[in-house]
Formats: sequence, structure tokens, C-alpha cells
Amino acid sequence: MSRLRTLPEALAEAARTDAGYLFVSANGAGTAPDAASGTYRSYADVQRLSWQVARALHDAGVRRGDVVAIVLADAEQFLTTLFGASMAGVVPASLYPPSTMGELPRYLEQTARILRACRARVVVTSATLAPSFEALRAGCPDLALVLTREAFDGAAQEPAALPSLDDIVLVQFTSGSTSHPKGVALSHRNLAANVDAINGPAGLATTGADIGVSWLPLNHDMGLIGMALGPVFSARRVVLLPPHLFVKRPGEWLRAISRHRATISFAPNFAYDLCVRRVKEKDLEGLDLSCWRVAGCGAEPIHPPTLAAFAEKFAPVGFRAASFLPCYGLAEHVLAATFPPRHRAPRVEDTFVSCGSPLPGHMLRIVDEEGRPAAEGEIGEIALAGPSVMLGYYNDAELTRQTIRDGWLYTGDLGYLSDGELFVCGRVKDIIIVNGRKFHPQDLEWAVDDLAGVRRGRVVAFGTMQRGGPDRIVVVVEPSGTVASEVLIDAIRRRIGDDFGLYVDEVALVPSGTVGRTTSGKVQRAATKARYERGGLMETAS
Amino acid sequence: MSQPASAQIEEGVIDVLKNVSRRPIEPTLASDLVADLGFDSLQVLEVIAELEDRFDISIPLNDVPATRTVAQVVAQVAQLVEQRSNN
Repeated sequence: MSRLRTLPEALAEAARTDAGYLFVSANGAGTAPDAASGTYRSYADVQRLSWQVARALHDAGVRRGDVVAIVLADAEQFLTTLFGASMAGVVPASLYPPSTMGELPRYLEQTARILRACRARVVVTSATLAPSFEALRAGCPDLALVLTREAFDGAAQEPAALPSLDDIVLVQFTSGSTSHPKGVALSHRNLAANVDAINGPAGLATTGADIGVSWLPLNHDMGLIGMALGPVFSARRVVLLPPHLFVKRPGEWLRAISRHRATISFAPNFAYDLCVRRVKEKDLEGLDLSCWRVAGCGAEPIHPPTLAAFAEKFAPVGFRAASFLPCYGLAEHVLAATFPPRHRAPRVEDTFVSCGSPLPGHMLRIVDEEGRPAAEGEIGEIALAGPSVMLGYYNDAELTRQTIRDGWLYTGDLGYLSDGELFVCGRVKDIIIVNGRKFHPQDLEWAVDDLAGVRRGRVVAFGTMQRGGPDRIVVVVEPSGTVASEVLIDAIRRRIGDDFGLYVDEVALVPSGTVGRTTSGKVQRAATKARYERGGLMETAS
Repeated sequence: MSQPASAQIEEGVIDVLKNVSRRPIEPTLASDLVADLGFDSLQVLEVIAELEDRFDISIPLNDVPATRTVAQVVAQVAQLVEQRSNN
């Protein structure tokens, strides 16, 4: 196996080739967005732009070890800032930029919580958002500097000192709860080990001739590490589309793969489903997907019927079911944990799909509730060990201790092994997943807790899994009786719609005392959910 | 804008909403897209794409957060259709 490299080292090597990023812009919201338009930046260009960032950070007084929060929606700005921050020896933290759909005040409130949790000293953001972050400084005592990315236009100068393999390459605030943000801290060694395994012979077996296409957000592990940093480590080209272009017009993803003769593209299950439902017959014209050798699928539960429907619909334009690569991973393990063999149609058992076997040099086991290894075929919690296990949750030793025990990362996901291959079948933790986005029940509970008509602290939110479909979102509330039922139900739906862009499938108003609490005062979510699923919740109103 | 044209837009918008929603819905002008009709952020973008195709317009994403009710969608589409025919 080749020597592990830091991110700046990998970029420096890639800069000697003519490979690079093609950044496609959506051209606002045109009726016929031309995904061919874009800006090509070779890795040599990217390296130069990143030097500029490193220099600008240094000149602004940012010191080694400072936490620098990066809040940028633009892919080129985000990536060059990440590389530059890494060259400058600071601790880059990746935060979600505000969505086009959400409300800014709520977003800023949540983001301030993250900034406090990681004690960010610096924020790098766009000129548009800079004033909003400037205003957050009062509530974030460690935040000393708000820098505007567009202003980093000084000289590019190769940094004098580079990070070592054991320095933090990234703190990723990706899937953490907004009320208790979790920043996954990864070292350069973690990143290189995982990316090398992904690119290697047991993974994607990439070469410089491979071309990637991705619309995945760069604040997401699969989008950032799989589709944007992975290509740097093997010096191959990748085309990056804006996420909303895909969501608005899913066919643009496939058109980009066809046009650029892309060989590698990853997406969550919902994206394949969206293509099945929304790409029209006329959009298939001129499409040629025969180049697509790795159609990766991960980041959320994989439904075999979705993959089958996609393969059937796009077979006439050259798609092969054997290109599917259903895999398993999580941000706490950099990205990937298991891969199936390539060139094989998905292996399905019951309603589950095989995600393959652990990466070389990595270990996986299934443990039962007592922490003992489970027998073959027995469902238990998936635990992982090896060089990709994160350093920990940044500034959260307690949570890190709970999650990594004796070198094993307890994933909170449930699965079983069959012939050495992993089948993922659920979650121990009560995260709600809708369209690849993760929501923490406590965030939903907090959001409605202060509404008029709700008994404080007597709210439970959960998702119930539906076979072959997205989670159904249920909010159970004890009403205080001061607000009419239908008004309260409406207010709850509106609040969660506004804050999360999420529709609550059912609001259940239940009698006082239904929502139990644990001795430590936490709501008994699992017990309430189990009663709901058995039909044992007495509702006061329909 | 003549009356029939705006009635046509209203009808078209409601048709798109019904097609995109995977729940049986009966939208009225007063319906709220998220709270009443159950659209999530993904479906809102789908609605936008469908409206752009049907009316041959381009809907700026910046205006999306302020648009909550069917009446607001109809008004915005009508305005964009008018701009298009004036150009």
C-alpha cells in the first residue's frame, strides 16, 4: 500500500497532472439550465487559490490551531478555503450554509450553537452572509474574526509549514443534532486511510482516467470526501453540480454523466428514486449512461425496489445494474466502511441489500445488546475499528467515550452478516431520515415545545419506518387545553415545516401523563413510539 | 391581465400541485404549501420545475421562502408570465 499523504500533499501531487474540478453553475434558475457551462480549475489552479487563502488567513492574524468555521455554499470557494485552511495549520470546521428554503434567523440561532460548541475563533463566509455572522459575535465569545471569502485576493505564496498526518484535517458538523451539535473530528491520517481504501483495488479501483460527476452537498461526507477529496488523492477529474440543480431537475444529473462520459457517481437512495419518478420519457433522448461503471448508493437506507426500478428505466440508455455499488459508511468513519465486489448486481436478502465487506485494513463486527459478538445472520449493532475511526467528537470527550469504546466505533446502526457481507437493517439511535437528510427527534421536540397550547416538555417526535418508503413523521403532544385542537395541530405542522422543511404526517394529541419521562427527566421516546406503533396511544382529538 | 388568463394560471398551478403531491389534496387559494398540503422542501423545488415547464418561465429561488400559499404562487406565476409576454 502506498504511503499515507496529508491533504496538502495529495493536492500537490495532483497539481502535477492536468486533472481538476469542473464547477458547473446553475445559471440562476433558467428554464433550460445548460449544465455544460462551468469553470474548470486544474488542481494546480486549486493549489494556487488555496495558497492565497492560507496567506490571507495568516495575514488576518489566524493562528495555528484556531478553529476556522467555513460557511460557504459555493463549491469552489468552499474547497479552496478548506485546502487553504489545512495548509495554514488551522482546524477547519465545515458548517451548513443556510438553505434557500429556510428562515435565516432560525438558521443563525442554530449555527451560533455550533460556533459556541466548537469555540470557533474565525468564520469564513460570503460577503452576503458576513454581516449576519458579524452580528452573532455578541453571543459567541470565542468568535474574534468574520472574514469574507471574496476578499482573499492577495498574493499566493507557498506556506512555510505544512500539517502532519496527525493534525485535524476537518471537523464536520454534518449529521449532528442542532440542539446538541456534534463535530466529527478527522485527522489527515483518517482521511488518507479511508480515501486510499475507497480508491484502491477493493474499492472503486480508480485510475486517472476516471471521471466523477456529483451534485451532493459538500457539507455532506459522501459529497465532500467521496466525490470531491477522493478525486484529488487519485488525481482524477470531477464535475461538481449545485445540489439544487439536481433536486429541481434530477435529469440534469444523468445528463451530466452522459455528457462528460463520467465513470463514477454516488448518491443516496432517494436520488435514484427521484430519477425514476421524475425523469420523463423525452428526457431519455440522447442520454448514454453506458460509461457509468460505479453507481454508488449510500448515506441512507437502500431499498432494493428503488434500485431495480432505476435499472429497468435506464437500461435502454445503457445503464447496467452491475454498476450499482450499494455501500455502508458514516461520517464518524470518514465515509466508507464496506463495499461489495464491483461488477455484480446488488445482492438482496428479504428487503435488505448487501453493502459488502469491510475495507482492507479495517474491521467490522456485529454486537448484541450486551456487547457480545453476534452470530452469523443475527441482527445487532454495527461496530467498526481501524484507521478510519474518527479522532472523536470535537470538544466533547463524554460523547466520544460513549461512541468509541476499546477502539471500536459503535455506529448506532443495526445490521447482520451473511457470508461475510453486511446487510444494514435499521437504527439503534432514533434519527429520522427523510430524503437523505437526518433529523434529530429532540430538535423537532424543542421546536414545538414553546408553542401555545403545548404542555412544556411533554412532546415526543419520532419517525416510523415504512417499508420501501421514507420515514413517517409523528409528533405526540400533550395539549395544555388552552388552544383548540385543530389550531394546535396546524401550528405544530407550520412550525416544523418552517424550521425543517418537513411535513409532519401525524400530530397525535394525547391525554396528560401519556408522555412518560425517565428518572433523568428525558422524554421516553422509545416507549411512546412503541405504544404508538402498537396502536396503544389514546388520542383526545382526531 | 384578463380574467380568463388568471383563471387559467390558477387552474394550472393547482393541477401541478396535485400532480406533485403524493397525497390526495384539494388545494384552494388559501392553502399553505407546507402546513396544509404537506409539501417538503424537495417537493417545493419539484413544483417550481413543473411550473417553469408549464408556463415557460424562470422562477428565482430567492423568492421561494416568502411564498407560502397557493394564492402567492398564482400571483408570482402570473407576474412572471406577464413579464415574459412583455419582453
